Amino acid sequence: MSRHSNNLSFMCALLANNLKAAAALRGAFAMQVVFMILNNVTFFVFWWVLMRRVPDVRGWRLGDIEVLFGIVAAGFGLAVTVAGGVRHLGRLIHDGELDTLLTQPKPVLLHALGLRLQASGFGDLMSGVAFIAWSGQVSWRAAPLAALAIVASALVLLACGIVFQSLAFWLGNVEAVARQLWDLLITFALYPEPLFGGVLRLMLFTLLPAGLVGYVPARLAHRPTIALAVLAVAAAAVYLIAAALVFERGLKRYASGSRFGVHG
Amino acid sequence: MFAAALKYVAFARVAAALARRDRGELFGRMVFFAVILGVFTSLWRAIADAGMPIAADAKQLVWYLATTEWIILSAPMVHMDLQESIRRGDVVCRLGRPASYVGSAFAEALGLLAVRAPLLAATAWICAAAFTGWIPPLASLGWTLPFGFAAAALITGMHLWIGLLAFWLEDVSPVFWIAQKLLFVFGGLMLPIDLYPTAMRTAAALTPFPTMLAGPASLVLPLNGSGSGLGMLTARLLAWGTVTAVAVWWEFRRARATLTINGG
Repeated sequence: MSRHSNNLSFMCALLANNLKAAAALRGAFAMQVVFMILNNVTFFVFWWVLMRRVPDVRGWRLGDIEVLFGIVAAGFGLAVTVAGGVRHLGRLIHDGELDTLLTQPKPVLLHALGLRLQASGFGDLMSGVAFIAWSGQVSWRAAPLAALAIVASALVLLACGIVFQSLAFWLGNVEAVARQLWDLLITFALYPEPLFGGVLRLMLFTLLPAGLVGYVPARLAHRPTIALAVLAVAAAAVYLIAAALVFERGLKRYASGSRFGVHG
Repeated sequence: MFAAALKYVAFARVAAALARRDRGELFGRMVFFAVILGVFTSLWRAIADAGMPIAADAKQLVWYLATTEWIILSAPMVHMDLQESIRRGDVVCRLGRPASYVGSAFAEALGLLAVRAPLLAATAWICAAAFTGWIPPLASLGWTLPFGFAAAALITGMHLWIGLLAFWLEDVSPVFWIAQKLLFVFGGLMLPIDLYPTAMRTAAALTPFPTMLAGPASLVLPLNGSGSGLGMLTARLLAWGTVTAVAVWWEFRRARATLTINGG
């Protein structure tokens, strides 16, 4: 128990450190946040224009899509804010830059994930929450469940990011492939579930779990039930544990880069 | 004049050779492209079920999207390379060479475009034909190739302009995101501009974005491949190309004037 609380306080310390570093360049930080918000709003124009003409796409209305988009954006923002190192994990592995983390007393994966913070993630998080509020589909009483849904979405995204980037242990330089797999996951998560059927639908709840990044958390925020809450939390836990196991397995194959470096 | 042009052809050839070797990245783009087209085929089918809001049918809209996505995915993200080069200070070494820094960067981007565009066009056509079971008239399809390539070159020019902002900005990504999203919306990436509300259509007409995407892509829609339409598109491409070239030239001139070189 004390080991887990130690790890948690270590993660909080890394986050605080990253926040201080980001705040040191206030102008750049604010610009990234504001531009990401504008970016997300602009992206949504497509749905706004389309749904004015076709108000119902297989049972999905504009409000439903706003909740889905909000959950995925906020989940992504949370993931890259708290664990921004996930996007660079493959490069760290391939370039042998895990060496400096291996000699330290904290878990390597946790440390690697917390090495960076992506400032634009705050913009995603804020715009995601704004989309959910704007949709008018989530009541204030359901707000804690919406927060749970965002955390669950972020954890599944993070777990997938860890797995995709950990392929570098076996395949070498996978930076571009891992980034594209993550983009695919997010792309699928942003579109209504009924668009996909058959084998693809099965894949979206297993191999490329866009369903657990978008649809299930969105439904939890929208029409909360205990079963959905349990499903979202259990899925997040299972994927996160699986990701940690994959990373640990890969770490056994890790070949040092014999590189001298220091991480603050 | 001819010898000067040959220098830039050499830059383009080297970049093309490098792009041919980086097959993983290219393959990733092709897979991503196929997935996007699959998602949108499902979306347009769902919208067709709900009642199509415009004259074009779902098949034509998939081909329209295949063309806009082909143009977007083919255009090299040259701004990232420029930013890195300016941040690291490599730009100083390149300024002393007997070739224009901006000209060589554009030539390299065209070399990359020359490798990417044909492969992505093949992906677009094969996937669109497979998903829709229909092929537009070959004459209009043939016209999309040169116009699409010219539009991708124009987008590359815009990326070049954004990249040069790194002389003043710490990170040009936020500017890129906004430009990209404006391109998506006003360019009509996912929806033909005819679908937009009047105010947005008017605003879009004042920007270069419809020339970059909707112009070439609309050639696959009915009644858009007429001679006068092609002439107008050629004129708009030339006009916006000239504006972009002047903007890049002026920006680089300002950047050189403000550049301070220290050390050796």
